[in-house]
Amino acid sequence: MASILPGAPQEGIGYSFSQAAPNAASEPRQHSFYPYSDNGGTSLGISGTDFTIMAADTRNVSGYSINTRYSPRLYLIGGEGPENKGARIVLSVVGFTADGSALKERLDNIVKMYKYHHGKPMSVSACAQRLSHLLYSKRFFPFYVSAILGGLDEEGKGALYSYDYVGSYEREQCRSAGAASSLIMPFLDNQVNFKNQYQPGSGTGHNLQAVVAEPLPRERVTQLVRDAFTSAVERHIEVGDGLQMMIITKDGVQEKYVELKKD
Amino acid sequence: MGGFDFSNHNRNVALHAKGMPLPKATSTGTTIVGCLFDGGVVIAADTRATSGPIVADKNCEKLHYIAPNIWCAGAGTAADTEFTTALMASNLELHSLSTGRKPRVVTCMTMLKQHLFRYQGHIGAYLVVAGCDPTGSHLFTVHAHGSTDKLPYVTMGSGSLAAMSVFETSWQGNMTRDEAVKLCSEAIMAGIFNDLGSGSNVDVCVITPEKATLLRNYITPNVREKKLRNYKFPKGTTAVLNEKVITKEDISKYVTVHELQDDEAMDVDS
Amino acid sequence: MFIARSEYDRGINTFSPEGRLFQVEYSLEAIKLGSTAIGVSTSEGVILGVEKRVTSTLLETSSVEKIVEIDRHIGCAMSGLQADARSMVEHARVQSQNHAFHYNEPLRVESCTQAICDLALRFGEGADGEESIMSRPFGVALLIAGYDEDGPSLYHAEPSGTFYRYDAKAIGSGSEGAQAELQNEFHKSLTLPEAEQLVLKTLKQVMEEKLDSKNVQLASVTKDKGFRIYSDEEMAEVVSRLPTN
Repeated sequence: MASILPGAPQEGIGYSFSQAAPNAASEPRQHSFYPYSDNGGTSLGISGTDFTIMAADTRNVSGYSINTRYSPRLYLIGGEGPENKGARIVLSVVGFTADGSALKERLDNIVKMYKYHHGKPMSVSACAQRLSHLLYSKRFFPFYVSAILGGLDEEGKGALYSYDYVGSYEREQCRSAGAASSLIMPFLDNQVNFKNQYQPGSGTGHNLQAVVAEPLPRERVTQLVRDAFTSAVERHIEVGDGLQMMIITKDGVQEKYVELKKD
Repeated sequence: MGGFDFSNHNRNVALHAKGMPLPKATSTGTTIVGCLFDGGVVIAADTRATSGPIVADKNCEKLHYIAPNIWCAGAGTAADTEFTTALMASNLELHSLSTGRKPRVVTCMTMLKQHLFRYQGHIGAYLVVAGCDPTGSHLFTVHAHGSTDKLPYVTMGSGSLAAMSVFETSWQGNMTRDEAVKLCSEAIMAGIFNDLGSGSNVDVCVITPEKATLLRNYITPNVREKKLRNYKFPKGTTAVLNEKVITKEDISKYVTVHELQDDEAMDVDS
Repeated sequence: MFIARSEYDRGINTFSPEGRLFQVEYSLEAIKLGSTAIGVSTSEGVILGVEKRVTSTLLETSSVEKIVEIDRHIGCAMSGLQADARSMVEHARVQSQNHAFHYNEPLRVESCTQAICDLALRFGEGADGEESIMSRPFGVALLIAGYDEDGPSLYHAEPSGTFYRYDAKAIGSGSEGAQAELQNEFHKSLTLPEAEQLVLKTLKQVMEEKLDSKNVQLASVTKDKGFRIYSDEEMAEVVSRLPTN
């Protein structure tokens, strides 16, 4: 092939464009420092009329290994003392565990200090804005986490905020983040917001009436959450071991734990 | 003609250099093991196939037939283990036909290592070869680059360390068939639960001079639990944007149409 | 030589043997030289009023700014050294904006007052390694009026860094007489217009000049309109309602 090309003899195959592979010997090599790792895991939040459910699996991995089968990804924010008694805000962090716990620690401090400073517990919307700033404050050395914040708003309705890792955020009905989010999110779109579902016999073609999304009852949402996770466990290797759930209502935060498959 | 077609190789190298990612192969990030016992040899495997972090197949078969008395467990790139073992099965059959003898495990191992060495590791097949022949019971491992080992108990794949820890703890010489089967399946279970690349069920194959017995799904420790909700949609849930009716008469111009009896009708909407 | 008092009013953060900080006490005296400022809190909102002390007929009265906005829902009236109040108000404004930026909600009036008082004691030599920002205590007192989720509230902040919440409070040169008047006249069911009248009436009693629409200034903080300084027309209207005597 190369022999038919005109010009000076070339090394290797005679490409018409420069090859990307650098000459390792001639270029200075930089020692790479990569302070991030991915510990897998998936989180999920769904808000209803008077509750918010947060859930996350408890498997912590690196590569093909399991670091631990029980590392909680749901944290109570604010509240009293180290046990966060009486807290009404739940933060879930997936991605890099070390960054996740650092972020949680910072937010928890801020929310606790807020109560001392202002004499009232922080609202979820205020906490949501503050978390966004926390993330953006590390815009050029980010926390490697997908965060979801859940609680009840000032009217007592379920409130759920989802974040990207540099602080862009949005209030939503439901959101899944982390390793198996691409598996769970379409399921949620269909089962919570009734996407791609139409009312049978309500019209023909484009006139068919879409099923209208309405807030779901708690029991049904809990079932959806568990089905979402048992299904994610089937198809994602980084998800499994246990499912931690926190249900936030006006009466407080109820925590549940169920086992997931361990393979 | 057999062999490989390299006509796209240069193009692909160029594309890759330009930044196009390589296509992702289904790999059997696997746990496979083998163990000799008094009067035969056992091999076992898990049944998970992955593509990156996604489980591609929850119950794939990693134990491959080579000859009536030789079986092979494969780890690595699924297609490579599949085709390499199929190629060996066919070549060994021809070899046995022309020599008029039962195929030997060493022969199989030698053919495999020569084949794999020729391709310098590009054929990503990592194999455990086991079988009984007139010279006895044998157990080998063959790596993708062509190196081989002969040992009384072996493990390979991403779960090999987990599995080997079981062998190193519990293996002893002169085991019975049942002891070997139990040890092998425990080793596989260690891989299933401790290695993310391995999962689902345990397949076992026991080979004695008399016969080879494949115990498909010998242990199923990871049965999916029942879903809490029913996800059946009522008929008409999906929007029909346009409709075209093709009559029986129309289609009869191209194919022959048969009416089915009621009891023959396909079971579409149950 | 050791003369009681005089040796202890030099060091800005030195206690006297009797346990007093003279410089801080002196700063309280500076406020008594300032013009009178009054605040009255009602269930509908808070009214702030100040006298402007027009010292010259050539003075442009609109340039006398003794009531200022801190945020949309908080304002304050001052008495004492005006320039000192500027830096306090600036600090309060920054804190208020910062809070809204970080928490997406308005700063509470009490938190705002606390933020101002935090500043009040940053005088003297400064702690180890910490830069002190002022050489002396503030010479100004503030009446901070605001409306938050708990309704309207009025706070009085002193140079000593202490603050209290009041239903009605007067500060400045006429504060003693004004406070006595407020004590008599204030009741919980005051309406906003009644509070306007009370503030003006009280100011009128303690002012040396004759009260008119040019030498007093009113402002209000209500739920709907937030902090608002009365325009010339509104001032003329409110003053015209004052019973003449």
